[in-house]
Amino acid sequence: MVAISLEHVTYRYPLGTGDALDDISFHIGQGEVYALIGGNGSGKTTVCNIIRGFIPQFYKGTLTGSVMVNDKPVSEYDDAELTQIVGYSFQNPFTQMSGVKDNVREEIGYALENLGLPREDIGRRVDAMIELLDLQEMADQNPLELSGGQRQRVAIAAVLVTDPQIVILDEPTSQLDPQSTEDIFNIIKLLKNQGKTIVLVEHKIDLVAEYCDYALLLEEGRVAMGGPIRDVLTDPKVMDHGGQLPQVARFFIDRNTKLGLCDPIPLTVQEAVEFKTGRGN
Amino acid sequence: MNSAIGRLYPSSKFCFVLLAIIVSIFTPGHWLQYAMFPFFLFLSFCSGTGMKFFKAFISSIAMIVVVIFLVQVFIVRYPDSQPIWGFIYLSQNGLEKSLGITSKIVASASAIMWYFQVTTPKDMVYAMERANWPKKATFVVMSTIQMVPQVMNQAKTIMDAQKSRGIETEGGVWIRLKTFVPMLGPLIFSLIQQTEEHALALQSRAFLSSAKKTSLYRLDKHAIDWGIQVLCLILFIAFLVWRIF
Repeated sequence: MVAISLEHVTYRYPLGTGDALDDISFHIGQGEVYALIGGNGSGKTTVCNIIRGFIPQFYKGTLTGSVMVNDKPVSEYDDAELTQIVGYSFQNPFTQMSGVKDNVREEIGYALENLGLPREDIGRRVDAMIELLDLQEMADQNPLELSGGQRQRVAIAAVLVTDPQIVILDEPTSQLDPQSTEDIFNIIKLLKNQGKTIVLVEHKIDLVAEYCDYALLLEEGRVAMGGPIRDVLTDPKVMDHGGQLPQVARFFIDRNTKLGLCDPIPLTVQEAVEFKTGRGN
Repeated sequence: MNSAIGRLYPSSKFCFVLLAIIVSIFTPGHWLQYAMFPFFLFLSFCSGTGMKFFKAFISSIAMIVVVIFLVQVFIVRYPDSQPIWGFIYLSQNGLEKSLGITSKIVASASAIMWYFQVTTPKDMVYAMERANWPKKATFVVMSTIQMVPQVMNQAKTIMDAQKSRGIETEGGVWIRLKTFVPMLGPLIFSLIQQTEEHALALQSRAFLSSAKKTSLYRLDKHAIDWGIQVLCLILFIAFLVWRIF
């Protein structure tokens, strides 16, 4: 079943001089982890905002084409309904806290409070989320006193607590240290195992190669390349469109060019190790 | 915040502050208004925020009051101004006017400052939501509360960046002004961007949902809260009667 579908979507921001997105079409199946990659200003966040309905609800401008979530136009959902279907976590961990909760437990339950769930249900779901994301140690701390990485984990928990089928993560690790980045990707792995559909905007291409199923490379608001992660991230043309190749793939592409020894090209460190072990050298 | 005063329901404290401001603005003379500062200082000590109140008042309101006083008395020209030296004059009218303005500022600022120091943002927003305030008004309060530390952090970051480029940021008023003014543009733009992202983050957490909101947090109105609100109303009516008749 198709979870997200964009057909011939073109969008221009108010006062914009050019189209931020130009005739974008792609489909994301349920349970897939889909990476949106590309340089700054290529339109990744705009795509996320369109899927979540922030465009044209919050950002006006001119939007044409069809945007469907679970086979229903996004414009036909009301906001509360969309909150429960599409979870959205932003890049900046410092702007995502409500600012009015003085402990992590209540911060996570904020969306459920807004949806008017009974207190007992909220308590149960918040406790489950704290356990799932291993947040017990900070449950009673003030969210505004946490580090960036901890806040990002709380922000993701606060989005996941509504149990959305689709989760959009817009550069969740861009301001985090390596350990916090690993924590966030462990959460992505957990969500993948739960069968969630994930849209991930991310520049750390080695991690994208490891965790994502499909990739869409955007360049100046257009789809430059797209398809299964291996097809996209082992194709040197990625570099011509402002993208990057994973280090492992780059090494093996270079080696292949000289010696023509491996097919398929390993994408991750794990695959490289398996390739080497399999060859016995 | 953990004092008996801090635990009062936000609207009880708000009624009291509102009464203090109204009385200060519409009572003739200056002494009652100036007396609001020691009164709220005393209340702050009772609330456990005395030193915080005093430091905040001295570093912000006291400075403004002194500047207004000096400008009104010595710089602005009135019909009775007597020249002293160059552009400096002395005026009895200016003195009266400066006392009128500064006394009201002292009273209103003391009341507002005390309120925000003894009421948590969480309690404030909870009370607003329970009183069915419009969600946009609640958002404005939430964003403003969050913005204050953000402005300070952001300003410090920009100042540090300027310093690391060798720009002089410390010294006299002129040097500080030269550093501060160019900083305003990026500071305001980044705050607008952060507020926008904060609005979207709240929206993605069903902030605009039309469902009747529940709350994990509980804050109840007690008999003393009703007592304070009724007392404030009686005092307000008595004040109106005194001022009108």
